[in-house]
Amino acid sequence: MSSLAEMATILLAPKDRDAVLGDLAETGAGRWSALRSVLGLVVWQQVELWRAWQPWVASCVAFAGSFLLLSVSFGLSVNSRHLLRGERGYGSVLCAALLMLSWAWTSGFVVGSLSGKTRWVCATLCAIPCLSCVLRFQDTSVSRLCVLPFLLPGLVGAVQGVRRVRLSHRTALTLAIAMTALMSVWGGMYMRNWFLFLPAWWLVAHRERSKLSNRKAGA
Amino acid sequence: MLGEFEYVLITAAAGLGEGAYGAAIREEIEKVAGRRCSIGALYTTIERLEDKGMLKTWMGEATAQRGGRAKRMVRVTPKGISAAKEFYEAMMRVSRNASWARGKPERSS
Repeated sequence: MSSLAEMATILLAPKDRDAVLGDLAETGAGRWSALRSVLGLVVWQQVELWRAWQPWVASCVAFAGSFLLLSVSFGLSVNSRHLLRGERGYGSVLCAALLMLSWAWTSGFVVGSLSGKTRWVCATLCAIPCLSCVLRFQDTSVSRLCVLPFLLPGLVGAVQGVRRVRLSHRTALTLAIAMTALMSVWGGMYMRNWFLFLPAWWLVAHRERSKLSNRKAGA
Repeated sequence: MLGEFEYVLITAAAGLGEGAYGAAIREEIEKVAGRRCSIGALYTTIERLEDKGMLKTWMGEATAQRGGRAKRMVRVTPKGISAAKEFYEAMMRVSRNASWARGKPERSS
């Protein structure tokens, strides 16, 4: 067996490494055959992960969500400048800031809880629009980093989602209603923004389903 | 219901009993079913069946033959046994009128 195959096992989960290398040693696999087997297992495991719907939804939310949140963050930064100049009231900027925080957090939470072992793909899909936007940023009146404030709440949400932090049905519902109310007050009922509500209402639907299945199990 | 390869794997593991682990199951499948079994297909299916609660795995002893590396031992759970039984019975029912199952010569078209 080759050290190449041993190196390739870095791509496997730690618990699989010993078992796979031991099996290959036991069957006397040659250098290339061992390498092919390990890489084959890596491919099989990736294909297996993508057979479920969850990684697809998480990837879509990560990609489309970061596109939308980039523009929301930019809008918020511009409005904050207007607020400092006294050209805009506190109310609308506060509404926009709260909405950005809650949109980013709920999107991150949904991505974290659905992505599982494909979280590196979601992270890449979120990073691509961010990097592209930062590198191509042309407005000289504000810093190019002004498009990124959504990343922090999004990351916090994603970590909590990965850790399976339990969100009660009441909390999810309150959050979704509060976000919808905030948007009506803010006046940002654009088609584009409705996509950002989907994670919050998905959390409500998910909690509702868990509640119903718990009730059924209890009956 | 189980997939065909899942059934083959559970049956091989059940047949090996206490000695069921990755390489042994693979060898058994290749010997009995007469088909090639890649490590990728084997471990991915073991993982999936473990997630479904049909198999239980744990790390076993390391041997010199394996370069001092541990085996991933496999045991079929009661849920796995009943799923395999269900698959087997379904195949029996489905095949009852087939010429190869009744021992009749196959009609050529």
